[in-house]
Amino acid sequence: MISKLTSRMTWLQVLAVVFFCLAAVLITAHNDRLYSEPILQVTKVTSGKVTKMSDEFHNVDHYHQQVLTGRITNGKYAGRQLKIQNAYSDSGAMDHQYRVHQKLFISLHTKPKLHATVKDLKRDTPIVFLLALAVGLMFIILKLKGVTVIASIVINTLLFWVAVKLDHYNNGAAVIPIFSVLAIIFCFITLLLVMGWNRKMFVTLAAVVSATAVTLLLTLLVFGATHEKGMYYESMQYVTQLPKPLFLAEVLIGVLGAVMDEATDIIASLATLKQERPQIGKMQLFNSGRQIGKSIMGPLINVLFFIFMAETIPMTLLYLKNGNTWKYSFSMNMSLGVTSSLISAIGIVLTVVLSSLFAGLWIKGDEN
Amino acid sequence: MGSLTALGLVLLILMMIVGGKQGITSFLSMVVNFGILFFSIVLIAFHLPPIAVTLVASIILLSITIFWSSASDNASATAFQASVIILIVLVLIIIPVEYWARVGGFGLEDSEELEGLSLYVGISFTKIAVSTAILSSLGAIAEAAIAIASGLDEIVTQHPKIRSKQLFSDGIVIGRQIIGTAVNTLFFGFFGSSMGLFIWFYGLHYSLGSILNDKVFAAELIAIVISLIGVVLTIPGTTLIMSYKLKRLQDKEKSTID
Repeated sequence: MISKLTSRMTWLQVLAVVFFCLAAVLITAHNDRLYSEPILQVTKVTSGKVTKMSDEFHNVDHYHQQVLTGRITNGKYAGRQLKIQNAYSDSGAMDHQYRVHQKLFISLHTKPKLHATVKDLKRDTPIVFLLALAVGLMFIILKLKGVTVIASIVINTLLFWVAVKLDHYNNGAAVIPIFSVLAIIFCFITLLLVMGWNRKMFVTLAAVVSATAVTLLLTLLVFGATHEKGMYYESMQYVTQLPKPLFLAEVLIGVLGAVMDEATDIIASLATLKQERPQIGKMQLFNSGRQIGKSIMGPLINVLFFIFMAETIPMTLLYLKNGNTWKYSFSMNMSLGVTSSLISAIGIVLTVVLSSLFAGLWIKGDEN
Repeated sequence: MGSLTALGLVLLILMMIVGGKQGITSFLSMVVNFGILFFSIVLIAFHLPPIAVTLVASIILLSITIFWSSASDNASATAFQASVIILIVLVLIIIPVEYWARVGGFGLEDSEELEGLSLYVGISFTKIAVSTAILSSLGAIAEAAIAIASGLDEIVTQHPKIRSKQLFSDGIVIGRQIIGTAVNTLFFGFFGSSMGLFIWFYGLHYSLGSILNDKVFAAELIAIVISLIGVVLTIPGTTLIMSYKLKRLQDKEKSTID
């Protein structure tokens, strides 16, 4: 009876998620009025001629011409029909093949007569759909806990945006101090949401902050000793300020979540252990912490490794296809990702030591 | 000695001190994973089908990450089966989303770096975007699967008579505990790796609308949300496999007693 009821509940929840995702898609598919840039919906596509081309590295590609007919959906010229020329390649690195029903951002020119060029695809619908799907799944599987998780993401995103703002007003001169303070606030809020206001939380906070600080110092020490040989800061993407401090700040924020994840695991387990066996000594507690830590650190290091490395793939591939050697393609695209992964890994290993140490020193058996 | 080698050495020494033999294995798994990743890129550069290469590589990468961890045999086998199933589900989500959002290739923000490079290389960058999204979720799926499988394996070892239904609800409880912090690992990783981009957006006064539609931002956001969905799905996935195995084992025992 109960299982029947819960299975009906589950189907209701699945339906609710489907409905939620559909609503998200419908709303973003009809939000053109919110944009000041003109949007064109493609109603007809006529394919033009195809040119074969090859470059000096013998890469073969095809260049396709197409004429898009469409209707402007917002702004002063809403409802007007337009024809736009577009061209795209098979690889589509910077261009796109457009299809009927797609919506595009265009730039309008009024002289001599109304005509337009394509700027980019409107892609808020798939993005919002995916976000809705993620939020919906979290509610189904995590129930109330999902609210805390989402709240922590939203709060952290807002704080991150404030830090970016502050960094901008300082012209990037204080990027490390700003993001260090941000890191401490991040940790405080996140751990408060995960663990609540208690002694365990403060022990974890201490472990996280000191592990990250030691990692940063160790990194600077290594950089000093090796004179930063082989650090290709010039290969950093989207840099608008001094690259080296920005790189360190990126790694600092990037590793924070993993370090918190790990420290929470270790300290929560040790607190339970101490509660069950209050006579356990400091040294034993430290060793148990190390045992727990060494089994979780490997998989955790790989989480960040894949996040940092995967995004370097497209550019590395492009370098390889442009006749560069493996070594050069690696140095210019992947070496900073590997460096970030290594620094994060050092942080994750140090967290095992510091969490176990602080838990041994400060965790008492008489609280939760 | 270059900084990269020096950092690698520092890491190896620290891992040996903290983890002993397991520490060395973890270090090796990272090195081998890198090798496989780089080799896959080379294969794609030789015009092998990108998504197929990525799928094969992903299964190897998952098995290395999971079987070289210190989880018990039963836990790692379950974690591996679960993560492969989740991987397939994710691929089925990733491919339509990537073709819908068209985030493959490069954005206007990349223009400076692309100077002097030929973009017409004859490999579909939308497929590369699918590969990138799959690969960036692997670590997170593996980690979540190992954590849940180990927790459940512990329960099964201590209470071999536990009902498979009870085990399922225990799995969801364990999952809820790990998810909060696992999500943070992903999101901070995302904040860290796209910090330069955020500063760029702010400096050039992008509106919320243009950020949401920006190709580079969308690509990164899709990758991280896909990983998030992967982690969330790993909870029921791993738990289902574990309780199915338990049920089969108990049925077998029952039939031998009868």
